[in-house]
Amino acid sequence: MFKELDPILHSQLRLAVMSLLIAVKEAEFTYIREKTNATAGNLSVQVQKLKEAGYINVVKQFKDNYPLTTCKITPKGVEAFEAYVKALQQYLQAGES
Amino acid sequence: MEEENQLTEKESLALITSMIKKAKNSYIESGIGPLFWGIVITFCSLITYARVSYQLDIGFDEWFLSLFALLPQVFFIWRARKQKNFISHDESIMNFVWATFAICIFLLSFYNSHVHPSNSIALYMIVYGIPTFITGGVRKFTPMVVGGIICWVCSIASYYTSFANGMLLMALSATSAWLIPGIILRRRYLTMKHV
Repeated sequence: MFKELDPILHSQLRLAVMSLLIAVKEAEFTYIREKTNATAGNLSVQVQKLKEAGYINVVKQFKDNYPLTTCKITPKGVEAFEAYVKALQQYLQAGES
Repeated sequence: MEEENQLTEKESLALITSMIKKAKNSYIESGIGPLFWGIVITFCSLITYARVSYQLDIGFDEWFLSLFALLPQVFFIWRARKQKNFISHDESIMNFVWATFAICIFLLSFYNSHVHPSNSIALYMIVYGIPTFITGGVRKFTPMVVGGIICWVCSIASYYTSFANGMLLMALSATSAWLIPGIILRRRYLTMKHV
């Protein structure tokens, strides 16, 4: 029985953001934008969706009079990411056999 | 990157792999820290060696230079932190390891100034080897692993040598643990920066 792939994660940009955040402790919005090559508007929307799902924490503050948004993956996000990778592996193994 | 692209399972896995790789390659150590300390400790050890072996008088304790070296070091760390827009998982661990090292060096110097043990050089080299070996292991950077081991070998060797020759061993330790890895890291950093 195949597990259904998490629809929150099964989208290109959201998956890219989660993959980045799983590899670092925390990252600024600018870092995520640099690495994903996404537009600020699109990235904002996807980050908001991940936040609403409880997969990431978003902290907005000011640094040297400029707004600074920092994102960090939550334990729920780590769990969802691991389950997603496991489900992917199941699909791929089934495809090979 | 567009949001609405639907991914196949293979594409998803490839995307995860590439983003994790990108994150891992984001941070390139500039090498300034180890390079700086390598120069200072090697220089101070060689000056002490020359002072003891040739009865030179330079008019001040050369090891005070290491205290002055702290200022630019703090500045470099502050500047690097300001420019960085992410924090890696191993960073906080490494900060604690090197803070422990700094505290141990201070405590060892304090102990030395009160107890005057006969072979304190060996103790310093034992302490030099600890953060170097850990950093090399955690960051998978072989020159620092080797550097840490050389510090410990030099520490044992210093029991069988005079104080002056012990200072040469200390210079060798600092060169192996920090100066050479620092040069390698600096060259790598400058190359990556210009790619």
